[in-house]
Amino acid sequence: MKPLRRLAVQFPTLVLARRNLSRATARTVLAVVAIVIGVVAIGAIGTGGEAFKQDQLEAYEGFGGTATVDPVFYPEEGGEPDTTFTDAEIGRMRRASGGATVLPVVEPAGSFVRSPEGDPLLTVQVRGLGDPGAFYDARAGTIPANWRRSIIVGSRVANDNDIQPGDRMAVLVNGEFERSFRVAAVLEPQGFADPLSADQTVFVPLAQFDDGEYGRAIVRVDPQVRSVDDAAAGIESEFNDRRRTVDVSTVQDQRQQFEQFFATVNQFLIGIGAISLLVAAVTIANTMLMSAIEREGEIGVFRAVGYPKRAVISLLVAEATILGIVGAAIGAPVALGIGAVVNQVLVGDPLAFTDAGLRYVGLGVGFGIVTALVAGIYPAWKAANRPPVEVLG
Amino acid sequence: MTAVERDAGDGRSADPRSDPRSDPQSGSYIPENAIIRGEDVVKEYETGDTVVRALKGIDFGIGPADFVAVVGPSGSGKSTLLNLLGLLDVPTSGTVRLRDEDVATFSDARATRERKRTIGFVFQQFYLIPTLTALENVEMPRMLDRTPKRTRERARTLLERVGLGERLDHYPDELSGGQKQRVAVARALINDPAILLADEPTGNLDRATGDSILDLFDELRAEEDVAVVTVTHDDYVAAAADRVVNLVDGEVRDDEPMATDPGGGA
Repeated sequence: MKPLRRLAVQFPTLVLARRNLSRATARTVLAVVAIVIGVVAIGAIGTGGEAFKQDQLEAYEGFGGTATVDPVFYPEEGGEPDTTFTDAEIGRMRRASGGATVLPVVEPAGSFVRSPEGDPLLTVQVRGLGDPGAFYDARAGTIPANWRRSIIVGSRVANDNDIQPGDRMAVLVNGEFERSFRVAAVLEPQGFADPLSADQTVFVPLAQFDDGEYGRAIVRVDPQVRSVDDAAAGIESEFNDRRRTVDVSTVQDQRQQFEQFFATVNQFLIGIGAISLLVAAVTIANTMLMSAIEREGEIGVFRAVGYPKRAVISLLVAEATILGIVGAAIGAPVALGIGAVVNQVLVGDPLAFTDAGLRYVGLGVGFGIVTALVAGIYPAWKAANRPPVEVLG
Repeated sequence: MTAVERDAGDGRSADPRSDPRSDPQSGSYIPENAIIRGEDVVKEYETGDTVVRALKGIDFGIGPADFVAVVGPSGSGKSTLLNLLGLLDVPTSGTVRLRDEDVATFSDARATRERKRTIGFVFQQFYLIPTLTALENVEMPRMLDRTPKRTRERARTLLERVGLGERLDHYPDELSGGQKQRVAVARALINDPAILLADEPTGNLDRATGDSILDLFDELRAEEDVAVVTVTHDDYVAAAADRVVNLVDGEVRDDEPMATDPGGGA
């Protein structure tokens, strides 16, 4: 037997179905296009969204071992709330964290920076930091080992205002100082995940601040060696034993929150994509209804010559399902193609598909086929239940 | 042949002289070994508010190898009778029995099975599947059976027998009306039916082809005991039949001339 004949013998319903579809080519093509659109919508939104997420998550690279510690205060208790850490508290943190790097940070309330040309830089933060070298790498210049009198500038501040090491900039901090500093170094870009927003910051040595009170502390471990969660837990148990006095937040937590948020947004978008499959279902149901009405005489013959209702239903559902399978087979590569373009743009590698992204394409394919199948059931049921005596003239 | 008096309580306006059910010349004849028999069969259709009585209490029976012609003007109930014989419909009252089982008790699935086992249909408009070749159309009723080789051989034999051995791979739109007719006959025979129901089997054929179809019917009856019931307007087909069921206005009329003219009466 020829292979096609063998297939026809094994799956006569499928062969009949396929030939029926070839009868009304334009209608078949339109129904397939509807499924393609649905599958592409889900697949492309899924893979594209995953590429965007990856792009965003890259910002968290390098902050895996980082946590911030902020004081918790209770303003409703009256009196002067304790909103800062002292050197002693920083020391306790170092011990409690089991040897992690703990850097005190001063975040002055009122501050002002001028560019080397004397222009005010309104969006730039001023922060006092113990030892930036423990935390950041310099893109230009060097971070002094014993840092007391110069400033270190974040990458975006430097880029936007064309600042080089060796330039001089005026920094004012209310109630503390107003003077001109030499720029010692410009930092590597850090991205939005950096808890100190270094890109937008001008760092000033702690020695410039008088009072030894710190608005927050930053904790860092080498994530290859030990877990930042252990360090965070150590600090929590040291400070929050009786009541909650510090808030420890790891960048890892923030990353997870971001991922969750992103997953919600993506699901919402895919839900919108799924609506296009719903429309496809309506198209297919309509196509199959019309096809069943046109062929009611033939279907009556099938019933008359001894095909059970089940067989007629299978035949028409098979036709609808073939529409879904063909639509999905075309839609999946199109979705992957769009995904590859988005990958190239956002991640720089067209093949940087994540498992989750590919799952969305799979989801689109599965939904596309199931949608078509389900849409075929009612027309099939209706056609099969039409008494043959009514349609055979 | 004994003439039996009809029961007084029968309530039907039948021929009072003898029971036509025992008269082999009567359209109401019921052979003893009938495959399918109908007694006092009434079929009514509701169309809107009015009820149409398509059959008004007729008797019929089809025995093995019978050749029965059903004639009558349009609207006389010919198609209704054919539908009842084909197990596509059940009577409103009276009984139709297939091998002594009341068809009204059949489920849809059972009726479908019995149709496949017993009945072969030749529809007036053929209803060939346009996407299937002549050979595949003939195979169609058995396509879901897992006997592809036997089905194909049988289909080929049947098509050769109706003179279409050279047209096996032609699609219906590549065949003439007469050729389609013969494919339809071959398809009706694929399941080795006991009864072949043919609606105007010679209607689209020239006389020579029509004759060859009638010869085929004779062969089938002689060799395979197939009963043939045909609705026809052709006098010569009716003349070839063992007996004629002359339907007029839903009743069997043995005493009237055959009303084969579609324009005459209703």
